[in-house]
Amino acid sequence: MSLCRYLPTPSDRMGILWSLLCIEGSVVLEYGPAGTTHYSVSLFGSLGVDQQNRLFTTHMSEDDVVMGDVSRLERALVEIDEGYAPRVIFVVASSVSAVIGTDLRGVCAYMQEKVRARLIAFEQGGFRGDYSVGLREAYRLIAQHAIAPTDERIEGTYNLLGLSAGAYRARSDLNEIRRLMREAFGMEMRACLLMDTDMETIEDCGKAEINLVLRGEALPAAEILKKTCHTHCVAGTPYGYAGTLDWLHRVGAALGREPNGALVRELEARHAEAVQMRMYGMMLRRDRPAATIYGEYELVRGMAGLLEEAGIPAVNQLSAHSLHALPEHDPAVRHLPVEKERIELMRGLRRQLVLADEVSHTLLDADNTFVCVSLPLVNGAQVATHMPLAGPRGADYMLEHIGAYLDTLS
Amino acid sequence: MDGKQLLAQMKRLSEAETIKDVRPLTAAMFPGTHCPLMGAAMAVRGISDAMMLIIGTDECTYYTKHFSIHADNFGGLNGRCVSVALDGHDVTFGCAKKVEEAFDEMMAEYHPRAVFLVTTCVVEIIGDDIDALASSLSERYDLPVMTVHTEHFKCENHLPGVERTMTACFDVMQPQVCDGSANLLGQRLGDFQETELCGVLREAGVRVGLRLPCGCNVEDIRKAPAAKVNIVVDDTALPLARRMQRAFGTPYVLFDKYVSPARIAACYQTLFDALGLPLPARLENLRAGAEAACEQARRELRGVSYIYGNTPFRCYEFNRFMAEVGMVPQLIQTNAIKPEDEADREAILALCDPYVTKTANIAPLQYIYDALHPMLYLGHEYAARLRAKGIALVRTDGAGNMLGYEVTSFVVRALCAAAKEARALREGGAA
Repeated sequence: MSLCRYLPTPSDRMGILWSLLCIEGSVVLEYGPAGTTHYSVSLFGSLGVDQQNRLFTTHMSEDDVVMGDVSRLERALVEIDEGYAPRVIFVVASSVSAVIGTDLRGVCAYMQEKVRARLIAFEQGGFRGDYSVGLREAYRLIAQHAIAPTDERIEGTYNLLGLSAGAYRARSDLNEIRRLMREAFGMEMRACLLMDTDMETIEDCGKAEINLVLRGEALPAAEILKKTCHTHCVAGTPYGYAGTLDWLHRVGAALGREPNGALVRELEARHAEAVQMRMYGMMLRRDRPAATIYGEYELVRGMAGLLEEAGIPAVNQLSAHSLHALPEHDPAVRHLPVEKERIELMRGLRRQLVLADEVSHTLLDADNTFVCVSLPLVNGAQVATHMPLAGPRGADYMLEHIGAYLDTLS
Repeated sequence: MDGKQLLAQMKRLSEAETIKDVRPLTAAMFPGTHCPLMGAAMAVRGISDAMMLIIGTDECTYYTKHFSIHADNFGGLNGRCVSVALDGHDVTFGCAKKVEEAFDEMMAEYHPRAVFLVTTCVVEIIGDDIDALASSLSERYDLPVMTVHTEHFKCENHLPGVERTMTACFDVMQPQVCDGSANLLGQRLGDFQETELCGVLREAGVRVGLRLPCGCNVEDIRKAPAAKVNIVVDDTALPLARRMQRAFGTPYVLFDKYVSPARIAACYQTLFDALGLPLPARLENLRAGAEAACEQARRELRGVSYIYGNTPFRCYEFNRFMAEVGMVPQLIQTNAIKPEDEADREAILALCDPYVTKTANIAPLQYIYDALHPMLYLGHEYAARLRAKGIALVRTDGAGNMLGYEVTSFVVRALCAAAKEARALREGGAA
């Protein structure tokens, strides 16, 4: 059960890289063989992550590996500092430097005196878990080392914690949540950890009124900010109508104000319409509607909730990543680390609504109804930033698919 | 960043005798060179019934699968590139058992005719004996299982991956009776059918046997020693050609993408001598056309300065050609200085002494442009960015389908067109 036929789950290091590369005003310096960096360019490009003057590699020679010579890393740090003047240089270990045990934190500590940029070391070399672990570390280290402690508050602002460029429709979800917060509370986003942001904004984001934690991996970062900036947080992502309502009420409770009444009434009405879809399922003579969801943990839970609204049980709730990095998780959501188990499960599905990735799509029998909710994409690219899976607009989109699915059943 | 300061740290060609003497422009590079793991993937994809089993981190295996999905001839998502992703436990306790299990699964599902076990940096550091494992798996399944080592910290770029994959194919070969054919070794890009050389061979009645790695199967490799001669079109195939010469007596001819007509003429002569056939008469006309192109180059390109990046041609032979027609090389980016290049290197040095640096480091090049003000850039760069600095990009990827005198004419056309554009840019008008 060791063979990987398709794409393996991205490693912690990959999650760290695509997160850090989203921060303008910083530079990521990889300490490792150059080929890995060049190889990554295509993937990060497809995730909409800009690498121009933001990603560098030192390369490593056999001498560096055998003798533990870090002089090229030292030279590279000085060069980048002088040549690009970033606010922060993230020094990221490679699998090679991790295995030989290069003390990146130590190098950063003594090199800090020689450069103006702040040096932050990420010593994960791809062996500490999958990208979920990497995201947790990226959020945590940014909260710990980059966000300035403060007691000051800027009313009407919030931070989003837990966005990831590696998530399907992440930019659309970001826009939907910003729209929701504006409409519900008249609030504006201050910083987004970690997508399409910049270092200056991150450093100053402790002044936000509240932190909205969209995925469990960002909770340790939120805890740090509670201590350093005394900022309250609300966990969870608004999926589905009922889920969005619940989320808005929880955010409102934390802020001490009610969400916009018109929006609440509209969501309640939409929820009522979704619930009516249960009738269609009950009218079926032969088939019983059922769904399988494969994707990131929060999405799986959120989509299961939305399907429940429409009376479709999510009989398989599968996380695309390990659950180790989450402080707690719903036992209904499983992670299948062995690829073959997932292949067999997908191949065995019949007449289900399957929310998953394009790899799973290739495994499905034609009598299933497939909706893409997860990366990786095998063909094509994400272009739109207005097609969310989160919020009421995401729920509208899913409801259309649910209707189409019910039409396929007898 | 100050381009003049960067140049002050660079060596001149006369000061670089081996690649270790050549410095990168900066210690921090982007995007850096390609990985030999990718080179191995480029080679295996052309062997239609062979599998590639990568042993490496999630990241190495992810990127290679990602590459293979979109690469021609690899079979897409369900294709012939699979992997064993190593975790911390495997790094500590070894990965042999895991690889063996994966191999068993692969054999049951894919039924390949040969397997390349491709190791990566981490496997080489932990020192698992994948060669021994390959031998035992080969015996157990009675099929060729070849190990390709692709640790990048021991080499400069992806080409060793291509080279080692092709060289590993030697183990599949078996002695054959000569059938008078010619093997094509080392063509990675382009379609050989489209080349001048292919046409010349066809007209002379010479059948092309094995085409490695651009399109063959395991049986073609097994029968490769039936050829009368190996045509080596890239240095990466030289180790294999030399082994075949030693083991089977098959001579080889290095017929790379040369630019100089004299060099191309020598290749044709050696090739047809090896085939025991007269030199086709039409080659004279082809050579005359190439010589005329050289005359044009001497007229139009004198004094045209350039920075050399990465092209489909032999680095030093091409630079010698350009220097000899009067062009001015200011900086040559290279990843190798081989004994075979010595004569060309000396010929360049007789005319000029350009800076040398390593390839695949685009970011600091921007500052070099401001210091050297070249008219042309040869290689992969952003044309608009170059134009803004008065530099014209010379596009040479179109030579992928070329071998023979056609290369000279193509190159001269590309250089003259770019030189014209550069002059127009400097005069302030559009090219």
